[in-house]
Amino acid sequence: MNTMLEVNGLYKNFKELEVLRGVSLKIDEGEVVAVIGPSGSGKTTLLRCVTQLERATRGSIKICGEVLCEDSPDGSVYVDKQKRHELLLKMGLVFQSFNLFPHYNVLKNIIKAPMDVQGKSRQEAEEIARRLLEKMNLADKEGAYPYQLSGGQQQRVSIARAMALSPALLLFDEPTSALDPELTGEVLKVIRGLADEGMTMMVVTHEMAFAREVADRVIFMDDGVIVADDRPEAIFSGSGNERIEAFLSRF
Amino acid sequence: MESFMKLFMQLMGGMGNTLWLFAVTLVFSLPLGLLLALGRMSKNRILSGIIRIYNLIIRGTPLMLQLIVVYIAPFNIVGFTWDRMTAAIVAFILNYAAYFSEIFRSGIESIPRGQYEAAKVLGLSKWVTNKSIILPQVVKRILPPMSSEFMTLVKDTALASTLSIVEMFTVAQNNAMRNFDLTPLYIAGIFYFAFNAIVEQLFHLAERKLDYYR
Repeated sequence: MNTMLEVNGLYKNFKELEVLRGVSLKIDEGEVVAVIGPSGSGKTTLLRCVTQLERATRGSIKICGEVLCEDSPDGSVYVDKQKRHELLLKMGLVFQSFNLFPHYNVLKNIIKAPMDVQGKSRQEAEEIARRLLEKMNLADKEGAYPYQLSGGQQQRVSIARAMALSPALLLFDEPTSALDPELTGEVLKVIRGLADEGMTMMVVTHEMAFAREVADRVIFMDDGVIVADDRPEAIFSGSGNERIEAFLSRF
Repeated sequence: MESFMKLFMQLMGGMGNTLWLFAVTLVFSLPLGLLLALGRMSKNRILSGIIRIYNLIIRGTPLMLQLIVVYIAPFNIVGFTWDRMTAAIVAFILNYAAYFSEIFRSGIESIPRGQYEAAKVLGLSKWVTNKSIILPQVVKRILPPMSSEFMTLVKDTALASTLSIVEMFTVAQNNAMRNFDLTPLYIAGIFYFAFNAIVEQLFHLAERKLDYYR
């Protein structure tokens, strides 16, 4: 089994504030890992460190067995720019607030990176995009602009956009938190579909039912550390851990 | 009627300098303004501070004063004299670049951080991100304040008369004073208005063209 993501002893400080305080985890190929926990527990920062939107303070990160950064007493040491770019393309990130490009229509949003970054021809990129839109149930929306779509549709476009670079690992940062409850379902259904196809995914979420049903593993974070990393049944059936039970009791 | 036509032609003659000032100022002050905006937003505090002070001085003092300083100061300092029109153009460029830089800055800073982050995670280079993702959205957002600034520039060209440059307003003013008759000034007012009506219409068209997204 290939390890797609390996994080060891990850620390992230914002000035005085310690947001991550020694996080270690591994995600194997084909696994779906849900990350849950209270706000401010460091879930999003963890994703942002893995996707290079933040620089780790200490600790190491490996993606598909390749080093992104290694720990040293003077802080995390990153590989060179070229390598960082390569590793970035192995990952797709889906944002809470979609972050689609408003001046591009749906198709252009999806084909921009494959053409510009991977050097694909327009025809090839469009073929990939249309296949993904089909899968996202958005085949008829390729000419629409983001503002013409519902939140759920926008989020599905942004999943297609991330998938278009054929990432080895797909990361979600609370993909349904900005959506009305009735739109949450269609996005979760798409993510579930990707899970069934064997996509490796790490999903930061507040949807407990989703975490329970779709995830192979659930990671519970609190206050910058991983409190528990276990099978969903174990986490949700009363783990005996006070912090987890206090958190889950709110749902 | 004949004298009216003569007056009209005289004013049109002054219009040449007005148009020239307007066009040259824009060609140079827009790119300079963008550079100033980028410098103002840079992490280099010294650069950013210098540009902030520059913008403060330029926006905090009368353009009329700046025109005279730009014309005379080089002579006082290094004994260098230059053509009045060149001095006026330089003063207008320095002045308008400061105002444009603040408009650019407000536009650039209004783009959500998520746009940069999405582009970065997709592997787009900084150049492509700025050129294809950020700039088009900035242009759409700054069109309304830009149109105001362009219209102000049309009227500000009249200040070139400070350096005895014969632009349209000077022609009208001299005529009016000589004959104690307001007609030339009314016509000049209509000219400025017509000029600005065209500017406004062009911006309106540009806004409509970018209306396809929100």
